[in-house]
Amino acid sequence: MELDEFKLAVDVWLDAHAGELAHSFEGIGTLDEQMAQLGKVRRLTYDAGFMRMGWPERVGGLGGSNLLRAYLGEVLTARDIVEPGIYSLPEVLAPTMIDYAPQALAAEMVPRLLRGEEIWCQGFSEPGTGSNLASLACRATRDGDTWRIDGQKVWTSLAQYAQRCVLLTRTGTTESAHKGITALFIDMDSPGITVRPIETMHGAQEFCEVFFDGVVVPLDRVLGQMDHGWSIAMDLLPYERSTALWHRASYLQRRLEQLVAAAPAGSLDPVAVGQATELLWSFRARSRATQRRLAAGETLGAETSIDKVLVATAEQAVFDLVAEGLGTDVVLGDDPVSQRWRAEFLYSRAATIYGGSAEIQRNIIARRLLDLGADR
Amino acid sequence: MEATERVLFESGVRHATETTDGAALDSALDDLGWRDALEADRPAAVSVLFESQGATTTTSAALDRLLATALGADAVGAGVAGVAVVLPALRRSDVPGRLDGDWCVVEGLGSAALDRSDTALVVAGTPDGAATFAVDLGLLTRRPVLGLDPALGLFEVMGEFETAWAAQPRAADWPAALALGQLALGHELVGAGRTMLELARTHALERVQFGRPIASFQAIGHRLAESLVALEAADALLDATWDDPSPVTAAMAKAFAGRSTRAVARHCQQVLAGIGFTTEHPLHRSIRRTIVLDQLLGAGSVLTRTLGAEILSSATLPAAFPL
Repeated sequence: MELDEFKLAVDVWLDAHAGELAHSFEGIGTLDEQMAQLGKVRRLTYDAGFMRMGWPERVGGLGGSNLLRAYLGEVLTARDIVEPGIYSLPEVLAPTMIDYAPQALAAEMVPRLLRGEEIWCQGFSEPGTGSNLASLACRATRDGDTWRIDGQKVWTSLAQYAQRCVLLTRTGTTESAHKGITALFIDMDSPGITVRPIETMHGAQEFCEVFFDGVVVPLDRVLGQMDHGWSIAMDLLPYERSTALWHRASYLQRRLEQLVAAAPAGSLDPVAVGQATELLWSFRARSRATQRRLAAGETLGAETSIDKVLVATAEQAVFDLVAEGLGTDVVLGDDPVSQRWRAEFLYSRAATIYGGSAEIQRNIIARRLLDLGADR
Repeated sequence: MEATERVLFESGVRHATETTDGAALDSALDDLGWRDALEADRPAAVSVLFESQGATTTTSAALDRLLATALGADAVGAGVAGVAVVLPALRRSDVPGRLDGDWCVVEGLGSAALDRSDTALVVAGTPDGAATFAVDLGLLTRRPVLGLDPALGLFEVMGEFETAWAAQPRAADWPAALALGQLALGHELVGAGRTMLELARTHALERVQFGRPIASFQAIGHRLAESLVALEAADALLDATWDDPSPVTAAMAKAFAGRSTRAVARHCQQVLAGIGFTTEHPLHRSIRRTIVLDQLLGAGSVLTRTLGAEILSSATLPAAFPL
């Protein structure tokens, strides 16, 4: 199906099912409410066929270009049907499974993710492993016909809801750095896994600590090859900076639009509004070009760090304006609408921290795109 | 333009801007068929030439030709080839001509091509919009500007003429012509920025302090990374704006290119430090060009403020280009 035809079909269907798709909570809702809403929307869009578009047939998709996925997420976000952060996680996890999991496993699992039957999480960061991902220590040890996992992950989004986890583990020596990492696909109900949600500043428990204590995993749950997990992580990260970011652009556009409609006269500086809009439009332009390169079959790489720097900068610029134009709501408001502005303002502060900090993105750009040599 | 055709065109244009300047560059562009390319594939013709021109800090009559085409020079009997277009005064984006009874009062700028032309196109506001007048350049006075960027060869253009002396005027779509000119200058700014970044990058790799190239310091690497982000963002917005250039989106893209490239100038000048502050190093040429281009056809800061004010008064955002 071509993009224009898809857009039309999706728009018509969304209009017809607006009531059924809308969320029932006020404001931002609780994370439980958001997750329930996400599951409902995934099921409905999967059954209507739209959620399957843009994914390969061998994992339950209906084929077609990634642009279809980009549009579905864009429009679901623009209509405030889903929250883009939690909606876009499959954009990172499903391609990893498609590219690296044994075919039968991918064919069995990916449809569950797309249909909203399951939530998956991504176990990368550790307490001692933030920007320096190659230093991770969560160990996987061969024990006869199984792996045994011991260690800890942190900042694992939605781990408390997740049925599966794409987990990076240390299989080489501690000194093996990026050469001794193996990616595993884990069942989160395995004995020995403990999940502890972390309450963040913006009032949600989206991130978790995950503890692994002698967790047994079948050998055939390796993604890619043993000790080659680093290349999976490197291939996966550009996905995190492509389609998911296009969805985020749609969210930022909606919020900026709502802000200029709601801000009291005189509360916003026209220069700041003009600058934030230019920045957001430039990010959209950049992200659209990235979607098109992906659709043309190009492999994404370090250049997506530019997209990531731009989205973080644009997001903070938009919410800096929110703190000005709707300052009273953000600071004093206790109604659901104000609570939502406040939570989203606070969440925007993390945009330069999560998913690879602003500094790491700049290191990647300096080293890989400008070829400036290793940084110290 | 086909991909291979575009590569050839691009390398031809780049070579022309690297080896010629001014009138010689105009001839080289004629030989390359730049004006045919402008008809066939306007985004490619404009982006390729103006980015190259910005990268090499050269000048040509291309902006005049682009504007003259958009203003219907042929219809007022001027012919696009030999005509100069009077540009708005510095920092402004409104028309340079003002009608006063039977007279047209002109206050604006001219490009270096003014010296190679006999006829000037002057756009003046009319009750229904704007009209293009083709007048003998001898009727206007011009002052060669040295100023901040002498190599740009600008003129200040002033004077007044009786409208009856000009050829029959033609209704002008000034906003549409301005939008094309702003996109061209946006690409020229990005070109200037790419040259500054390359100069700073080369310096950072060669300059050794504390026993190692300064490129290995994060403080340097991050400034250069910031510069690349700024240029790629500006370039992406310009490219997307070509989908459907409107006065609002073109002004945005131009203002953003100006702001981005000025940030690049700041970072690169800091990285190039002492040598970059001398005239023995070429950086100063690109910095001068950047500052002036940012203020031609509407100063970036003014365009951005206008955009913001318009958003606030209408409580709506500009149209966003679709996926």
